[in-house]
Amino acid sequence: MKDTIICRCEEITLGDLEEIAKKHNSSAREIKLLSRAGMGFCGGRTCRPAIDKILTNITKENPSDALPLKVAPPVRPISLTDLGGFGKDDE
Amino acid sequence: MQIYDVVIIGAGPAGLAAAIQCRENNLDVVVLDEFPRAGGRLLGQLHQEPNGQWWNGIEESKALLERAESLETDIQLGVSVHHIEKLDDQFVIHTKKKYFHTRNVLIATGAAESPAPIPGWTLPGVMSIGAAQVMTNVHRVKVGEKGIIVGVNVLSAAIARELQLAGIELHSMALPTRNVVVDEQSDPRLVMDRLSRIAHLAPSKFIQLGSKFAKYKFVQSLALKYYPTNGIKMWGMPIYLNKAIKQINGTDKVESVTMVDVTINGDIVENSEKEIPVDFVCIAGGLYPLAELAAVVGCPFIYSEELGGHIPIHNETMETPVKGIYVAGNITGIESSKVAREQGKVAGLAIAHKELNSIDIEEKLQAAVRNVVATRDAASIQFHPGISEGRKKVSTAFQETMKTQKELELVR
Ligand SMILES: Cc1cc2nc3c(=O)[nH]c(=O)nc-3n(C[C@H](O)[C@H](O)[C@H](O)COP(=O)(O)OP(=O)(O)OC[C@H]3O[C@@H](n4cnc5c(N)ncnc54)[C@H](O)[C@@H]3O)c2cc1C
Repeated sequence: MKDTIICRCEEITLGDLEEIAKKHNSSAREIKLLSRAGMGFCGGRTCRPAIDKILTNITKENPSDALPLKVAPPVRPISLTDLGGFGKDDE
Repeated sequence: MQIYDVVIIGAGPAGLAAAIQCRENNLDVVVLDEFPRAGGRLLGQLHQEPNGQWWNGIEESKALLERAESLETDIQLGVSVHHIEKLDDQFVIHTKKKYFHTRNVLIATGAAESPAPIPGWTLPGVMSIGAAQVMTNVHRVKVGEKGIIVGVNVLSAAIARELQLAGIELHSMALPTRNVVVDEQSDPRLVMDRLSRIAHLAPSKFIQLGSKFAKYKFVQSLALKYYPTNGIKMWGMPIYLNKAIKQINGTDKVESVTMVDVTINGDIVENSEKEIPVDFVCIAGGLYPLAELAAVVGCPFIYSEELGGHIPIHNETMETPVKGIYVAGNITGIESSKVAREQGKVAGLAIAHKELNSIDIEEKLQAAVRNVVATRDAASIQFHPGISEGRKKVSTAFQETMKTQKELELVR
């Protein structure tokens, strides 16, 4: 199971996450930033719930009412040109 | 620049039902959906109700769409919304194509599937149970010759039946072996308890299965201990709560799975490994509300296991504490499509009421709110036995949030 990929975009395994957690004694957010799990092309759309689970399990942080990991726009992959928004408003 | 009365994100049963109410009241509406077809998850659904009638999602979505079109509803498909920006008196909906300015937003983005990682799950031929449903019932593509379903719950059972009806051979349904992510789905007691508490409400054959479990209700551990070696059969297909899939094998694609026996605690029985040849595997990890857009626009959340995860706080008329932002359908909790449709009606009427403030609409709105509850009570598919308690929690959270908001305003 250690070798099982959790974040497919960044190819992060369960073992990777556990190792980082142990080495740096980090919070859920720090583990995410250090490993890039959930930060690949799909923006965590596949693995987010799994990562939430694993990270809360490692850090023993209880599931609270707030979202475990912050959601930031854009919530879909888009190109920089599209992000710029040029010409998207009608006159 | 056009400012819409409302932008509806999601053309599932909730979004479409809301659009119909808004258009009946002549609001300026645009419905956006990233899928090329309108109907949302409804499109894949096909099951038999306890009264014997069939629930055909394609027909149901056609009816909604036809009604919306007869009211000249602007529905734009293939459009992903990637951000909702809040300005002083309006919202800007960011899409790849253009920006939409609007006074109100209904977020009806439905649910997504939780992944259930097990060794080998990234091999081609492994898919989520929902993907199998869409391929089979929407795209009419055969997912494989012979498969197995990992994860036993109401949804995977309903979809297993749909695959069978499409002529696809299934070896069985079994649990995943335990790991940190799938701890709940791998616990035989929990799985049996959930099934026994909901199965009496679920479609036809599932009722019989349910009553088999219900009989054992007070002796569930015993039932698990003496669980038939060949599984309990549903439509001729074994459902195992005493066997689990440990890994998926194959070089370039799925070739087999390794199945093991598990104890009533979900522990693997030594030397029980068996290799089962299959060419596809469906993983059912459960559903959670897809609420990313509610998060970016600043809606507060509450965690409710009963409703499937983190829920944007809202009241009975589907308003969130962020004025002008409404939610409806599975984003507010995992429930059947009939409930989603009724919630959509409520949201549509609530928005119409806000814009037009008429007594006539108010009365319709109250009736629609009652209808949601009635539909929930009668629903043949319930994803969690504690839905009503979850709903109460959310509604209390809304009142508290509004109270705090008021107090903060007074301080300012
Ligand atoms: C895989 C799966 C199978 C299901 N099977 C059943 C079943 O058999 N029976 C049953 O009663 N219920 C089933 N459900 C529950 C189902 O969600 C509800 O029945 C119902 O479809 C919910 O309606 P909704 O309108 O809330 O959302 P949906 O029907 O899911 O519609 C939401 C729509 O929003 C769109 N959307 C999401 N995000 C964006 C975005 N950012 N930009 C643009 N568009 C977006 C989606 O493309 C989708 O069309 C299933 C759910 C899933 C996920």
